[in-house]
Amino acid sequence: MADLNTDTSTQSVNNTNKSSTRGSIVVASLLIIIGFITLYDAASYTDIDSKVFPQTSAIALILFSALAIAKQIMQPSIVSGIELGAWWRRIVLVGSMLLSCALMPYTGLLFACILTFAIGLIASMHDQWTQRKAMVYFLCGLSIIVCFYTLFKFVLHVPLP
Amino acid sequence: MDFGNFLAALTPLNLAVAMFGVVAGTLIGSIPGLTATMAVAVLVPISFSMAPETALILLGAIYTGAIYGGAYAAILLNTPGTPSAIATTFDGYPLAKQGKGDLAVAIACFSSVFGGLVGAFALLFLAPPLASVALAFGPVEYFWLSIFGLSLIASLSQGNLMMGLAGGALGMIMSTVGVAEISADIRLTFGSQTMISGFEVVGAMIGLYCIPVLIDMCSTGEKHLKITGDVAKMPILSAARITFNSKFNLIRSSIIGTLVGILPGAGGSVAGLVAYTEAKRTAKPHQKFGEGEPDGIIATESANNATVGGGFIPTLVLGIPGTPPDAVILGALMVQGVRTGPELFQSNGSIVYTFIYGLLIATVLMLPIGLIIGRYAYKSIVTIPKAVLVPTVGFMTIIGTYSIRNSVSDVVIMLCLGVFGWLISKYGFSASPIVLGLILGPIAEQGFVQAWTIGSAVNNLPGMFFGRPLSQAIIAFTLISLILPWYLNRKKSNKGGH
Repeated sequence: MADLNTDTSTQSVNNTNKSSTRGSIVVASLLIIIGFITLYDAASYTDIDSKVFPQTSAIALILFSALAIAKQIMQPSIVSGIELGAWWRRIVLVGSMLLSCALMPYTGLLFACILTFAIGLIASMHDQWTQRKAMVYFLCGLSIIVCFYTLFKFVLHVPLP
Repeated sequence: MDFGNFLAALTPLNLAVAMFGVVAGTLIGSIPGLTATMAVAVLVPISFSMAPETALILLGAIYTGAIYGGAYAAILLNTPGTPSAIATTFDGYPLAKQGKGDLAVAIACFSSVFGGLVGAFALLFLAPPLASVALAFGPVEYFWLSIFGLSLIASLSQGNLMMGLAGGALGMIMSTVGVAEISADIRLTFGSQTMISGFEVVGAMIGLYCIPVLIDMCSTGEKHLKITGDVAKMPILSAARITFNSKFNLIRSSIIGTLVGILPGAGGSVAGLVAYTEAKRTAKPHQKFGEGEPDGIIATESANNATVGGGFIPTLVLGIPGTPPDAVILGALMVQGVRTGPELFQSNGSIVYTFIYGLLIATVLMLPIGLIIGRYAYKSIVTIPKAVLVPTVGFMTIIGTYSIRNSVSDVVIMLCLGVFGWLISKYGFSASPIVLGLILGPIAEQGFVQAWTIGSAVNNLPGMFFGRPLSQAIIAFTLISLILPWYLNRKKSNKGGH
């Protein structure tokens, strides 16, 4: 039974390593595509001075990414990969920040950021919720946001929406 | 230079102004997105009603405080508060993760004060001869200096050199997006108006460094930073011992910072990176750079603060700003009616020397002020519940990025880069080479194209790129920093084999 468990866990580690190696190859391939897009775009520049640097960098990107793929295939290095779990938290956090960008021109930065803070608070809360905690945490965040908004808008004169 | 100027710098008004400047600069610099240039720019109107020397002391104090303040976010949140603190994240954040964030902050403070003093003393005693160094640096030297900085990629690649080099190349491509500085071609925008002004470096840096930390922080219930000692006590003595035990690194990095500060356009980020490269190149076998090595913090922080005094040298002696905040200060000086140039030290000697003494005093004041603010910054970050910390830092990344160019698009780009940075970091690619390419790319491109044009005009391209003594020295340093670690590793493994 113990052997069976060890085999299963070894297999699972191997699978994770394989998928991480595959992930590294996918990222490097994506970089190669970016390199070719750069070369394609650089071909349309009128001045040679504008072309030299992006073309050189693109060739370097393609070359090094290809070598990185070759190395990953022949001698895979251990990379962490994306751990499963808590995906909803990550998506909600980034989504809430993007939402604030979408709302900002219509509602202003203050309201958009308060909403983002409230959603981010839910996404990052790992303890048991209590009514008191919810209230204190939210008020804490609210006061920080209002303070920084005031600092940026009225002291530093940043034209915030 | 006489004792009277020193006493003039010690008036209660000048002392109060220096203290206010250091506090305001440190606080502004600690907010991701607000750079030293912005700190000086937003507070410059206050100086208009002051006497020229007092105004200069205020602006110098804000500048030096802001450069140091950038270390807080770099150490505690892995987000460089200012571009000068990029290399501080390499070892500062890992040290904080080990539960030694307070030690890292205190080391950064001691190093910053030491570097700041070296820069200010260079300004006091060596300003005119050092200003000629700035004039000796031509486009080709800038090109080689940026290549020297890029050689750091080799040591930042954490086991996979090819991935690091690919990241560096990607950063350089990103730096070309928008209107080309030399020929005005529009590059890699694909018709998008938003991308015409290119990637905003500070926004990109916030995205690539801070967003991945936030994504990881929100996904687990573990504490953000370990706490090993008493949060209320700052390990000041240990920090001082560690910092001053590393005398050679401290002095060398401060000199590098002063010299890089003198070069117009290079600035604290380049100084920090070059000093870090040198510290890593000469590391002892037991030192593990990138995993919380105090010498990494010492090198970066002493170098970036030394650029303050160094940057004032060409600003005051030649009228050429050494760093971006110096350009703002130069503007403020013009408003004050002070004409900078070689005669400044004779014609307005009392103003200049009072200011230099004031800068020295402000740098010394940064020690107690920096330690006090650092202690509260550390305490706040480790004690604040994660559920509040994550959305608060998220809010600060949004407002900080927005305020750089008042652009919502910059915030969206910052977030996209953050998610991209997080994804690639999981598959062996690191954000640091990308940021390095993004910062050094424009310097390398401009230097290369200008040197190429001049070399072609004089029909001597090899001589242009390889024939100048300063270029040869930088090329030699670059080769040494690339080859020496490889050679030493090989020698060690050969010994081990026998």
